[in-house]
Amino acid sequence: MLIELKDVNKTYFGAQPLHVLKGINLGIERGEFVSIMGASGSGKSTLLNILGILDNYDSGEYRINGKLIWDLTESKAAEYRNKMIGFIFQSYNLIGFKTAVENVELPLFYQGVSRHKRHEMAMEYIERLGLKDWAGHYPNEMSGGQKQRVAIARALVTKPDIILADEPTGALDSKTSVEIMDLLKELNEKEKLTIIVVTHESGVANYTNKIIHIKDGVIGQIEENRAHDSVRFGSDGPLK
Amino acid sequence: MRFDIDRYKEIIDTLSRNRSRTLLTGFGIFWGIFMLLIMLGGGNGLKAILNQNFAGFTSDAIIIGSSRTTKPYGGFKRDRYWSLDKTDIEVIKTLVPEADIVTMMDATWGGQITYSDKSYNGIIKGLTYEYVGVESPQPLFGRWINEVDCTQERKVCVIGKRVWSNLFPEGDDPTGKYIQFMGSQFQVVGVDGRNGGININGSPDQSVVIPYQILDRINNKGGKFDILCMTVKPGADSEVAQEKVRGLLSRRHSIAPDDKAAIMMLDTRKIFKIVDNLFKGVNILVILVGLGTLLAGAIGVSNIMMVTVKERTTEIGIRRAIGATPKMILGQIITESIGLTILAGMFGILFSVFILWGAGNVVSNLPDFSSGISFQIGFWTGIAVLLMLVALGVLAGLAPALRAMNIKPVDAMRDE
Repeated sequence: MLIELKDVNKTYFGAQPLHVLKGINLGIERGEFVSIMGASGSGKSTLLNILGILDNYDSGEYRINGKLIWDLTESKAAEYRNKMIGFIFQSYNLIGFKTAVENVELPLFYQGVSRHKRHEMAMEYIERLGLKDWAGHYPNEMSGGQKQRVAIARALVTKPDIILADEPTGALDSKTSVEIMDLLKELNEKEKLTIIVVTHESGVANYTNKIIHIKDGVIGQIEENRAHDSVRFGSDGPLK
Repeated sequence: MRFDIDRYKEIIDTLSRNRSRTLLTGFGIFWGIFMLLIMLGGGNGLKAILNQNFAGFTSDAIIIGSSRTTKPYGGFKRDRYWSLDKTDIEVIKTLVPEADIVTMMDATWGGQITYSDKSYNGIIKGLTYEYVGVESPQPLFGRWINEVDCTQERKVCVIGKRVWSNLFPEGDDPTGKYIQFMGSQFQVVGVDGRNGGININGSPDQSVVIPYQILDRINNKGGKFDILCMTVKPGADSEVAQEKVRGLLSRRHSIAPDDKAAIMMLDTRKIFKIVDNLFKGVNILVILVGLGTLLAGAIGVSNIMMVTVKERTTEIGIRRAIGATPKMILGQIITESIGLTILAGMFGILFSVFILWGAGNVVSNLPDFSSGISFQIGFWTGIAVLLMLVALGVLAGLAPALRAMNIKPVDAMRDE
């Protein structure tokens, strides 16, 4: 089991304490292509943050590869994130004053990889994602789809155990959305990458092999979707 | 924290790709350093100009002159005029052990000095060879009058710079030539290269110096003269020496012991001290104002970086999400701040040094100043300013860096 959650609880203590995750139990195997689906307020973002070691949980157990993720120092958390997790965000989150290839190099920079090696590795992924001619361009010179590809290259470059994609098509038009989802699917099939997609769009979720429904802080139905037919009228693409 | 080239490249990239931000932030520091150094350099230049006026002047001479008495004493009524004379010198030399050089100075103002068809209206000074201990001439040509000139009463003279340039407009070496004044021929033995400035009994550049004995004889003053110059031996108490001299002179010339006005005494040490204190004061003021400006600049940097960090929340959040530790972010912001302060400060140093260099050149070329007046700040001042910049950089970067350190990676995603 690559990812193991046991009775994970999370409460936000504000003026009104908000019990967001109410005992999440979840297991994800290596090489799975999973989506976590839920409406806004369902707790899916909180779950994503915990999965990505961006946030702490209050009780329960979260293990990646058997390693307990609990009470980590900020630097340890940063190290784990850097080595084990690759993030893909809805708004790409590229650094505007860095070129595409420099953005891809950044995680390697924080790993302490030498400049030459870094550039080589980054270029390799840039090329693999078909952005060779765009390597020297800044994000504001690229289309949304291209930016998301750069972000995917950045997520892949550290060869992480898990790819976490938070609404990866949220800012893209339907045609580009299809391309990106096809790309993720291909990465899962060819590279055996473990990919977790968080989304509220059933069309996007339909691309994945397993759909985990989350509602009001608990895991609802876990749906096997090998046939990609979970969405009746969206089977030919993500709903927009 | 790693210290490798990459880290600095990262900083340089961040600074150079956000040029207007960098420029705005750095300007405060640039201006602070510029003002501080311009003021320090200006102070140095002013001091150099003043020092030039004091050039060739021993800092511990006592100048004594006679004046009318203000009190009746010893059977004489007040308002009597008295003169110093040769015997005073002998008496002081014998009875005041603190005295080192004791010598006279006499002068005739408005003497026509001629050489072939040129003439100049200057001051004829009668001095002794010992006088070099009071003022230090800077010979352009030849030498100063010596002991033999004085004892053998040779008709030789040392001419001032302006006298020389008027009589010898070609600028040639006048030593050995004969010039005329006071109805006699004098052989030039040297040229004193000093400019005007602080002087006793007339500016050295407009003077012709001859052995005192000759002037005394020509003017037929019988050993009387205007001014007595003395120095005290190293380590001796100048105040004690002055009191002893005053006592001796008042006894010899029947002056009331409490008649301070009749014997004018000028202690050059006191003048130098006043000037020194003045410059100490100016320096303190300059440093205070300069540091204030610099501090304001640093606060400006801190402020703008604070805003910048806020603006860069997403960027920092991304960096954190993809593996930067808080320490790395802290290091990055502080290094950015140091880099920025040093960069801006260096420009400030360069620019002010350039301006000071120009100012020095302009002043040195003015007719009344000698060349080589420097407004420049010292090397160690530069180093000190540089170190201060690093300290300021850390200081300015601290608050923004701490704030940046507390940015959580989740914040990157929240700002949408």
